[in-house]
Amino acid sequence: MMRPLAVLVVVAVVASPLAVPAHAQDAVGRCAVPPDLIAAGPGLPGVAKRFQDHQPLIIVAIGGASTAGVAAGSPAKAYPQRLQQALERRHPDVPITVINKATPRQTARDMVGRFAADVLAAKPNLVIWETGTVDAVRAVDVQDFAGALEDGIAALRAGGAAVMLVDMQYNPSLASVIDFGRYLDALHRTADLDDVYLFHRYDIMRYWSDNGRFELVDVPRGKQAVLAGEIYRCLGETMADAIDRAAR
Amino acid sequence: MDFHAPTAAVAPASDRGAARTERDLRLDFFRGLSLFFIFIDHVPGNVLAYATFHTWAFSDAAEVFIFISGFTTALVYGRSLVQNGALLATAQIYHRVWQLYVAHVFLFVIFVAEVSYSVLVVHNPMYIEEMRVAHFLETPHLAVIRALLLAFQPAFLDILPLYIVLLAAFPLALLGFKIHRLLPFGVSALLYGVTLWRGWTPHTYPAGAPWYFNPLAWQFLFVIGATAGFARVSGIWPFPAGQWFRILAMVIAGFCALISINWTIHWLYDPFPPLLAKELWTHTLDKTDLAPLRLIDFLAIATTTVIFIKPDNRFLRTAWARPLVVCGQHSLYVFCLGIVLAVLGHFVLDQFYDGLPMQAAVNVAGFGAMVGLAYLLEWYKIASRDARGPRVTTTPSE
Repeated sequence: MMRPLAVLVVVAVVASPLAVPAHAQDAVGRCAVPPDLIAAGPGLPGVAKRFQDHQPLIIVAIGGASTAGVAAGSPAKAYPQRLQQALERRHPDVPITVINKATPRQTARDMVGRFAADVLAAKPNLVIWETGTVDAVRAVDVQDFAGALEDGIAALRAGGAAVMLVDMQYNPSLASVIDFGRYLDALHRTADLDDVYLFHRYDIMRYWSDNGRFELVDVPRGKQAVLAGEIYRCLGETMADAIDRAAR
Repeated sequence: MDFHAPTAAVAPASDRGAARTERDLRLDFFRGLSLFFIFIDHVPGNVLAYATFHTWAFSDAAEVFIFISGFTTALVYGRSLVQNGALLATAQIYHRVWQLYVAHVFLFVIFVAEVSYSVLVVHNPMYIEEMRVAHFLETPHLAVIRALLLAFQPAFLDILPLYIVLLAAFPLALLGFKIHRLLPFGVSALLYGVTLWRGWTPHTYPAGAPWYFNPLAWQFLFVIGATAGFARVSGIWPFPAGQWFRILAMVIAGFCALISINWTIHWLYDPFPPLLAKELWTHTLDKTDLAPLRLIDFLAIATTTVIFIKPDNRFLRTAWARPLVVCGQHSLYVFCLGIVLAVLGHFVLDQFYDGLPMQAAVNVAGFGAMVGLAYLLEWYKIASRDARGPRVTTTPSE
């Protein structure tokens, strides 16, 4: 495993040619992850064009409890809102709106049913779709899960939006009682076959946990909301890195 | 999968010598191999998983298990049917069902302990959706009853319920074999077809979750195995065996292997182009309903294996093959241990360190424990049989 210092150097070196040097600082510190955890593609040319032309960018995030961000104590501390702040800082000349349409306890198929009314109605340029947890917990048929993903991706693209898939949260304790592997595989492979950008939240959180950046289990009650808020902030920052990297 | 025992154990004493000599070590070997593969595949992130069956096939170790299970079930109880009659054969089958049921309840208790422990440790509202996996703890009285009725199937506890149901229904197949050797096959194929067509599935708790292995679909593979196994009893091979059939099987198995290996390389190294992935991949995913592509590929592989590996294959009698053969001969206990070890290995890799050295250690420890248990059981069986004094009662099949 890389040492934190080495990681900082690597991130700084990789991030520096991205754009403005100030951006590189955002992902450093507690949130930093090795560059191979943030995919460079498939690209998001539509988003890139918005940045270049200084056109307003509308992003809708749809997902479950972890996207809603209830654990942090306030919706303003959920990762989509943190993403908006991070993107605004990086692109001060582009009006950026991130709309959070998360609803807990929905399967991928349930969410696809909401796309027309809740997501596409806002005319988003990019849809961030976080899914898979409820499917894995309820042990939904994997083929049905993959089918829902494919249908959802097709519907979002038909509605004129680019898509970013977000996989499950990592939890060192529950991973051995929930069969995440098959659902992670199905999600990653669907993203691969359909050329969809995938945000590797599972691996990123696992990296933070393995390197002692965040203790995910056995958190004292008084510190839970602060911890959740901090993780969501880091996810928002890292996701801004991912968008900047894919939208070049 | 099969938990059935050596033919010799069920056959009456007069028949023992004969049964022993014609014993087909291929069944034990591949059953043992599947046990190892199931253990490997149940340890998440295990690099060795790339060496298991599904790397070069659409199907995986589960298909091998069910097929061999059907085969030996028909062999053991078909012989008993002929020699002892339907009543005793049925009683023996239900004795075995009882053992599987007890094993299922044992694994359920371990699962409950593990979930309770994990959820109490987590203490983090970030995982509110994930915690729903433990919602059955809010109504433990219902969860226990559902587990006893096989209607509660959390992750990793899905294979035994399938076997229990398949075996419990097996006396019907035995009666079918008495009427015509292809009657169970015909009925079973019809049920499989209608199940796929109508989307039939038995439901479990939590409401709406289907059985991971849909017994209405998987019974077909079990009965195909049983029909082949019963041929050893009746002496008449019921399926095609001509040259064209062998060539067709080899072509299908080769084609599927090529595609699967190609995909495996692609998942590992993205720029490598995946052949036919958009067309075929989702059709290989439906393990729950035993997707036709998986079934056809498995049958082609089984046929190809039988063409190249004969019962008198010398490798099967070497010291290298011996550990797998012994594991295959004590499959129920080795299977249960494998599941418990996989959960433990999962825990160790997640909690401490999951680098390659640790993975290797978990694999070696797991294999060692499984082989050790199998040798212990083998020693116990032989020692009990040879022991003087009060006769040790052994179960009919182990």
